Amino acid sequence: MTKRYVLVHDENKCIGCQACNVACRSENNVPESVTRLQVRIEGPYGNFPHLHFKYNRVSCEQCENAPCVKVCPTGAAYVNDDGIVSVNENKCVGCLYCVAACPYKVRFINPETRVPDKCDFCKDSRLARGEQPACVSVCPTQALTFGDANDMTSEVRRVLDTKPNYQQKVNLGTEPRVYRIPSRRGGIKA
Amino acid sequence: MKLDRRTFIKGAGAGTAGCALATLPGSLAALGHSTLKGSAESVASICEMCSTRCPITARVVNGKNVSILGNKNAKSYGGAVCARGGAGHSQLYDKQRIVKPLKRVGERGEGKWAEIEWDEAYGIIAENLNKIKAQHGAESVAFSSKSGSLSGHLFHLAKAFGSPNTFTHATTCPAGYVVAAKAMLGGKVKRDLSNSKYIINFGHNLYEGINMSETRAMMNAQMEKGAKLVVFEPRFSIVADKADEWYAIKPGTDVAVALAICHTLIEDDLYDKAFVAEFVSGFAEFAKEVKAYTPEWAESISDVPAEDIRRITHEYAAAAPHALVDFGHRASFTTEEFEMRRALYAANVLVGNIERKGGLYFGKKAAKYNKFAGEKAAPTLAKPGVEGMPKIDAKRIDMVDEQYSLIWSSGGVYQTILDATLTATPYQLHAWVMSRTNPMQTMTDRARVVETMKKLDFVVACDIYISESAAYADIFLPESTYLERDEEIVDKSGKNPAYYVRQKVVETIGDTKPSWLIWKELADKLGQGQFFPWENMETLQLFQVGKNVSLLNKIKSEGWVSYGKPLLLREPAMVKQFVESYPNAKPLDADGTYASQLSFKTPSGKIELSSSKVEKMAPGRGVIKYREVNMKKADELFFIQGKVAVHTNSATQNVPLLANLMSDNAVWIHPITAGLLNISSGDKIRIYNDTGSEEGHALVTPGIRPDTVFAYMGCGSKNKELARATGKGVHCGNLLPHVTSPVTGMNLHTTGVKIAKI
Repeated sequence: MTKRYVLVHDENKCIGCQACNVACRSENNVPESVTRLQVRIEGPYGNFPHLHFKYNRVSCEQCENAPCVKVCPTGAAYVNDDGIVSVNENKCVGCLYCVAACPYKVRFINPETRVPDKCDFCKDSRLARGEQPACVSVCPTQALTFGDANDMTSEVRRVLDTKPNYQQKVNLGTEPRVYRIPSRRGGIKA
Repeated sequence: MKLDRRTFIKGAGAGTAGCALATLPGSLAALGHSTLKGSAESVASICEMCSTRCPITARVVNGKNVSILGNKNAKSYGGAVCARGGAGHSQLYDKQRIVKPLKRVGERGEGKWAEIEWDEAYGIIAENLNKIKAQHGAESVAFSSKSGSLSGHLFHLAKAFGSPNTFTHATTCPAGYVVAAKAMLGGKVKRDLSNSKYIINFGHNLYEGINMSETRAMMNAQMEKGAKLVVFEPRFSIVADKADEWYAIKPGTDVAVALAICHTLIEDDLYDKAFVAEFVSGFAEFAKEVKAYTPEWAESISDVPAEDIRRITHEYAAAAPHALVDFGHRASFTTEEFEMRRALYAANVLVGNIERKGGLYFGKKAAKYNKFAGEKAAPTLAKPGVEGMPKIDAKRIDMVDEQYSLIWSSGGVYQTILDATLTATPYQLHAWVMSRTNPMQTMTDRARVVETMKKLDFVVACDIYISESAAYADIFLPESTYLERDEEIVDKSGKNPAYYVRQKVVETIGDTKPSWLIWKELADKLGQGQFFPWENMETLQLFQVGKNVSLLNKIKSEGWVSYGKPLLLREPAMVKQFVESYPNAKPLDADGTYASQLSFKTPSGKIELSSSKVEKMAPGRGVIKYREVNMKKADELFFIQGKVAVHTNSATQNVPLLANLMSDNAVWIHPITAGLLNISSGDKIRIYNDTGSEEGHALVTPGIRPDTVFAYMGCGSKNKELARATGKGVHCGNLLPHVTSPVTGMNLHTTGVKIAKI
């Protein structure tokens, strides 16, 4: 059976500390002016004193049905066998269609390589070495769980099966592979 | 340039090139930057991006980058590393880092520097310090360093030189809880957050002021074990957000709520009478004093509803002894810091959570642990001593008042350097040697720090950047960063003994040196070389382990070595496990614990809820008591500060990766207050009081009390050498008055300000 790599972000455990952001930047040599991964601390929402923040992970959603792949005229944007939305730099003509098509606004042009860039779960570096993506391995509060959702014995499968979770903008039919465990206070702002 | 479509769209992205600044003498930019030489294999070491000093593993990748991760051998740290720790490499090869000794060539603070060689730097320092010593005595030179790591080497130099005036940053940061613990419990205690079922927290923001093992422990207790967290804090911080209950307490009134909790525990008969009878002295006086501190009284002062204080206290007592009131960290909220921290400890003592799971406990270092085990369960470390050190007759400058005696040996009252310099109290200081400390930001009343630095005859600063304080030095000594240093083995014992060590990951960049070597070489130049008999760091490490090379190698290769099982003396299950592991272990008490072995280094040998020693030191303070304090004028707003997860106080604002995440600190203002002042988010504002005036911008948010404004500390540097930080945001130290709190010697971090739109 093929792999289906997914990531779960627990908004209860996330403290918005940006350890993931920095680790990602370091691991993937992301230039200063762009970002593959941020956690935005949004809010506070609600009314004093009943307030809450939303911890919004902003990175590639690894859509099963990826708009960036659909619009790519050359096949440079593609979904790998493991489900990771990937970029073949050699095939890219820099048309920017993928950047425009991404409903999550997480694709960008890398100012150094000049091709589209985004989170790829550290697939060529850490994943290839059998390690967890950088963000997952450094997270101080273990807010991130990563793994193969097709593996019924995996931790990520257990988390998805036992905790309430949601995906962003499911109405678009993109079927994101980044799942979120909603904060136990406040509503879901997908 | 290859012109294709990709080149064309380059312009569409955000610009990458930073503006070319006039190159700073001595900086990496001025001296060039070669490839990194270091281990491609992971090296176990210790982070220094903040004072938590987490165990890390690091390696050089392709000679260009350093990958920094946690060390999985240290279980409570979980192999994790925070944003600051992960950004260590960004500091290492930052082009603005200083990698060559510098000599001031303009006025102090003017920013004119010339590169010099180490020998010349040592020569100038030795000549000046020896001249000052001959004219005014060695005591007229103050030595200060951020505590921990290599600070002992600077203080050793001070003693060899003959000055008693050594200071850490303690009274600008953690001294409050340390002094209160010494007075009541005879020494520092730790929190067993991970096993706690109920945690009451007074603005100890562990989710922004990250202390990796404690942050993880509290989150684990909350999320995996269902612990309840109650937070009292004027601001809606991340820890407030993660709490089950948050109360926007009025700034500076924490002591009232803590005393009301104690009141309720006693009056509602919820306290642990057996524990109090066996281990506590001065309970009757304390109970008599807190009788008046009802929850209703506390509500009138703090804005926390009495019924909630009462209910929370009952819930807390029901969860006890596996429950705790967090005694906090950074201070001080008011001048009544000592009473506040003591009241927080008292709320723990009353429920008898000492040496219980989820409560408070004493560190179990090897010597203590081995005594219980009846065998050498863990190796002990030797401490090198040097014979024939000069006798110092002069008194410390902070020994003007007996009430501060508990802090004299724990870092001293740092800000007395200002009094001694400016008003010769108790005598005149003439020079200041500082290492990794930034009093311009942390000591309060910045103008007074500037005045002090200008008045001194001679100032030396050792650091990795020209900090706002180092900007006023005569000689700047560039220290190697932690990734380029070897250091002594460090005792990191918790419930069981543990050691770890900092090791060099990268070969030294530029012409920098570790500060242990700097002070040793300076001692040579000063004529005190005989007091530094060690050849190098390895000599010191080998002395520590008693020449046990295999132990040293084990600590170096694993990076974190712990021994035995966790031990809490009053926790039956843990004690049982312990005794089963060690056949010669001390015999148990009848109740299956080591409770009778519990001792406190206080005059009575018990926990002193009331203390005659304190009464003697500071008349009227023997018993914990509430005193009204006035933190601000009637027409002012409270001004409070706090930590953010991506910066360490005043130290990291210029680190590129972190500056890119946050280089400014907006002032949090409640919508009602902002409305009255006609201020919207993003507006430029002036924030001012009698101490100083700052310009910044507003963040209008409901996450703050209407009578309070907040800013993250550490921003707004005023020296041009910190190009990424200078002039960005509000400089908190410029708004805080120079006040020293009774007994703890703490400076003050809450004051009043006015805000105006500009």
